[in-house]
Amino acid sequence: MGIHKVDRLAVLLASAALATAPLLFGSTYTIGVLTVALCFGMWAASWDFMSGLTGRENFGHSLFIGAGAYTAGFLNVEFGLSPWWSLPAAPVCAVLFSLVLGLPTLRLKGPYFALAMLSGAAVMQNLTIIFSSYTGGQDGLNGIDPILDSPLAYYYLVLIFLVATTIILKVIANSMWGTLLRAIRGDEASCQASGINVNFYKIASLMISAAFAGLGGALYAHYQLQVGPDLFAVVLSINIIIMVYVGGLGSIYGPVGGAILLSVLTESLRAFSEYRLWVYTLVLIFILFFMPQGLIAPLWRRIRSYVA
Amino acid sequence: MMALLEVYGLNKRFRGLHAVKDVSFTLQTGSITGVLGPNGAGKTTMFNLLTGFVPFDTGTVNFDGQSLARLPPHKIVNRGLARTFQLARPFVGMTVLENVEVACLAPRVRGEGKAGMRAQALLDQVGLGEKSRHFVDVLSYGDLRRLEIARALATRPKLLLLDEPFAGLGAGEIQPLADLIRALHRSEGLTILIIEHKLREFMQLVQEVIAMDFGEVVAIGTPAVIVRNPRVVEAYIGKVEFDAPGLATTGDDVGTA
Amino acid sequence: MVQILVYGAVISAIYAMLAVGFTLIFGVARILNLAHGSFYALGAYAVYTFTAVVHLPLWLASVLAVLFVAAFGMVMERVLVRPLRRSSLAVLLITLAVALMVEQMLLLVFGSEARNVPSMVNATYHFAGVDISSQRLLALGGAILILTSLWLFMQHTRLGSAILAISQDAEAAQYMGIPSDRIYSIVMGLSAGMAAAAGVLVAPFQTVIPGMGLLPLFKAFAIVVVGGLGSIPGSIVGALLLGYTETIIAFKISIEWSQIVSVAAVLITLILRPAGLFGKRAAF
Repeated sequence: MGIHKVDRLAVLLASAALATAPLLFGSTYTIGVLTVALCFGMWAASWDFMSGLTGRENFGHSLFIGAGAYTAGFLNVEFGLSPWWSLPAAPVCAVLFSLVLGLPTLRLKGPYFALAMLSGAAVMQNLTIIFSSYTGGQDGLNGIDPILDSPLAYYYLVLIFLVATTIILKVIANSMWGTLLRAIRGDEASCQASGINVNFYKIASLMISAAFAGLGGALYAHYQLQVGPDLFAVVLSINIIIMVYVGGLGSIYGPVGGAILLSVLTESLRAFSEYRLWVYTLVLIFILFFMPQGLIAPLWRRIRSYVA
Repeated sequence: MMALLEVYGLNKRFRGLHAVKDVSFTLQTGSITGVLGPNGAGKTTMFNLLTGFVPFDTGTVNFDGQSLARLPPHKIVNRGLARTFQLARPFVGMTVLENVEVACLAPRVRGEGKAGMRAQALLDQVGLGEKSRHFVDVLSYGDLRRLEIARALATRPKLLLLDEPFAGLGAGEIQPLADLIRALHRSEGLTILIIEHKLREFMQLVQEVIAMDFGEVVAIGTPAVIVRNPRVVEAYIGKVEFDAPGLATTGDDVGTA
Repeated sequence: MVQILVYGAVISAIYAMLAVGFTLIFGVARILNLAHGSFYALGAYAVYTFTAVVHLPLWLASVLAVLFVAAFGMVMERVLVRPLRRSSLAVLLITLAVALMVEQMLLLVFGSEARNVPSMVNATYHFAGVDISSQRLLALGGAILILTSLWLFMQHTRLGSAILAISQDAEAAQYMGIPSDRIYSIVMGLSAGMAAAAGVLVAPFQTVIPGMGLLPLFKAFAIVVVGGLGSIPGSIVGALLLGYTETIIAFKISIEWSQIVSVAAVLITLILRPAGLFGKRAAF
């Protein structure tokens, strides 16, 4: 099925907008903020791909992010490999984690699955602190090499990955895979009765979600140049979920928009840093009660119906 | 000729409740058979055992010559054994067409052409063709039943298990559905096994009846013989649905469809 | 060894008070009360305020603190939770909002430095070669007393039996008549009161900071998951398991390792037996 012409145009325009943004705002600081926003975009899109489509909300997405980021850290700092190696290695590592946690939790329903994934991420966070001799404990790994020296060039690299991620995930979501994942959300027993191997699609979508999240994690690591146990924190997972809801569950591109929007917004509210979680929670409550479809996806659909 | 489905000594216990007890029967290819019994007789449990949704304790189930023991439901479907559910369970949030498309994507039938086109054809066949773009949330009970059947048909089954297809239907909806089932039986050459309570349509539809009570098979025979079986009658005393005029009186072979 | 026994007992007892309150309100009203940790923190801060600021005697301050927080919990239930009862997600979020609000307020009023609450008793006991502060023993004794009182209340009063029955099987409760709003209030009061009492008892030897309720909330939650949502015996068994496992690991291995116990316990329980040890079926 691919992507419709109007959507292709939108992708082009959005990419162009994101590409010109740093040129307009110039400073290294804003480029940094935007780079982080793009990473959140990858994390949000990858979360939406699985949880948005199948309805199995993963409250431990940070597990994959941290896995990817620490992989980047290890390969570069401990083993001295070139930072480019992180890009294939991080997704692989994240996928392994998704198998370890995903297989035993296949049969868990909604809230239990969410809680199990959350616990998995929390366990990993604790382990990272415990084995501090390997992981640097609370201080984490420092001195990671950047992939590219110019912040602007790196921004464009991350942007390319984000756009590619969004397109790939959207194409899969529009294909037969998307129909099957949404059917799993509809009713698992009926899926089985229709001859579909539900477990396979559940685990496969989790693996795909993990791979892109891990990749985002590595890209983040090579921006931040350090990784710490906070990358496994529950708070990160929840922030991402909020971004997805703002963007519009199940649309893939909506969450990207939501992520960028909220990232930039909270950064500009820096002065109120203690209240950040407060702000996020309020936003989530607001969206859940008044705009359960999100902000961005419905807006785009409205625009689209006038244009197409 | 080998029977399509052979069940021997099927047993299932749930924590002390012996839900299915030494059930044995065979189904010949092309036959249309009914399963009769009061609530709690173990009919749906038996369906669940045959279709892999619940593992059975002991017994053998041979379908088309192969054992179905310990197979997960989706694999059984891909062997050619499909079922519908007693309580309709459509894929909510998706259209009628998409609901059937899902089944068209089963490995068994995936290569048979575009899922969308096959799905539309199946919907036409069950009489839902015009509603294919509607969301399932707005369908009536009768339509949901047809949808279930279309979904099951999409997997090109050799054997179709229908769990109380007439339950909850209004008087006007029962006959058309029975006609549909009869038509499918003829045109597709399907073997069909139906659980039902509503005796009138049921008894006219099936060639043979397996009567169950308390998890056991109590009697197997033609409808006319079964309604006169004392144990069957006994199981149904007090049941309002036991109303099958013209069968309990004279004539051995009242015939079915 | 004796140290482990006693410390383990103290921590288990405190955990039990928190967990029983948490599971009770879930069992009766299906509320996952994310503000439960706030009750604990408020108890500690209340007793601090009543002694250090209002200069009341310690025993009076403690009692007042518990009553105050119990009332707070009941008001929260009545004003914020009850109107939203139809949506469990909304209830979850509103309790989260209360928790954040309380923490923010404590931060604003008291600042982020740890507060000092005087001990109720100052002696230190020597027992089999180990020093054990009597405040810890008091905490243990207090917790046991409170839990026993609760048990007696549930076994021997009509109201208590009703609450117990409802918490164990909400469906059966429907045959007894839908739980009245009054019961919800009372249970919330009990739940908040017990959490506050835990806070009061540990205040002398725990760090009293605005965020002190977060970890206990998670521990209570973990215990309840392991023990079975809505099951009081489950909470007590779970509390003992967690309390002792943490203490043993903290003494024998390291504190960091002991912190992983609760999270790992949740994960393992969900994978092996989602309903928990004493839980009936999936409670969600």
